[in-house]
Amino acid sequence: MSELANHTNTAHASDLIERNDVTVTNIAARRGARASLDERARATFGVSLPSTPKAVEAGGALIVWAGPDQWLIIQKDEAGRDHYSELAKTFNGLASLVDVTESRTIFRISQARPSPVLSRSMGIDFHEDAFKPGDVAITHVSHLGVIVWRLPDGTAYDFACARTYSRDFGDWLRKAKA
Amino acid sequence: MRINCPHCGQRSNDEFSYLGDASIVRPDPAAPNANEAFYAFGYERANIAGPMQELWYHAAGCHAWLVVTRDTRNHEILDVKSAQEVALERQKAAGTAQ
Ligand SMILES: [Zn+2]
Repeated sequence: MSELANHTNTAHASDLIERNDVTVTNIAARRGARASLDERARATFGVSLPSTPKAVEAGGALIVWAGPDQWLIIQKDEAGRDHYSELAKTFNGLASLVDVTESRTIFRISQARPSPVLSRSMGIDFHEDAFKPGDVAITHVSHLGVIVWRLPDGTAYDFACARTYSRDFGDWLRKAKA
Repeated sequence: MRINCPHCGQRSNDEFSYLGDASIVRPDPAAPNANEAFYAFGYERANIAGPMQELWYHAAGCHAWLVVTRDTRNHEILDVKSAQEVALERQKAAGTAQ
């Protein structure tokens, strides 16, 4: 485990964690292949790929909208399974896939309601009625690009940022949630 | 100023970067007046006082290019469309005109 990950996981492990147990794959629909890609996704996961800023959980995967015709597929690591290669095979010819596990850091704050500081720190309306379970926003925090989503079951908020900035962003989150 | 991104919803303008006039179309390099047309394409811009179509990029959001209709006198935003949608509409219009 990297020094950064250790740094993030130690002092405040209670309800802010860094998710090091997942494979993250970015997929982007090939031109004109959106409908076939969706068909394949339904056959694989049992759900359509969201076409609006939503996250859906199905078939052992969390599928997060990441811009028009783009998604992050987040799957818990399992011994003997290579999630990325399986996805690459499944969506072959319909989407471009990149394993971004090592380039993204995902933080999770397990809380059912947004902290007031969090609400004030991003240009997103985090009010419970506005940012509901399963909602996604791509935005920035002090110039750091972040994708934030509320888990579909409403138990936590996840934040994905470029790993290069994970130390800064982790510090920021720790302060924001305090 | 806030821009209503068709993909993300209302966002602050610090998430966007500005390119300029969205009505400009790259000329045909094979046309007999290509030289003049490319000069105009590269340099000539109308300084519009009123609603104009502009290209904005949702850089800190969904990474989509947008065509924003903004009143340059008061920054009122009258319309926002995805640039892809606008380009497809233009292609369709050009196709039917030929
Ligand atoms: Zn957007």
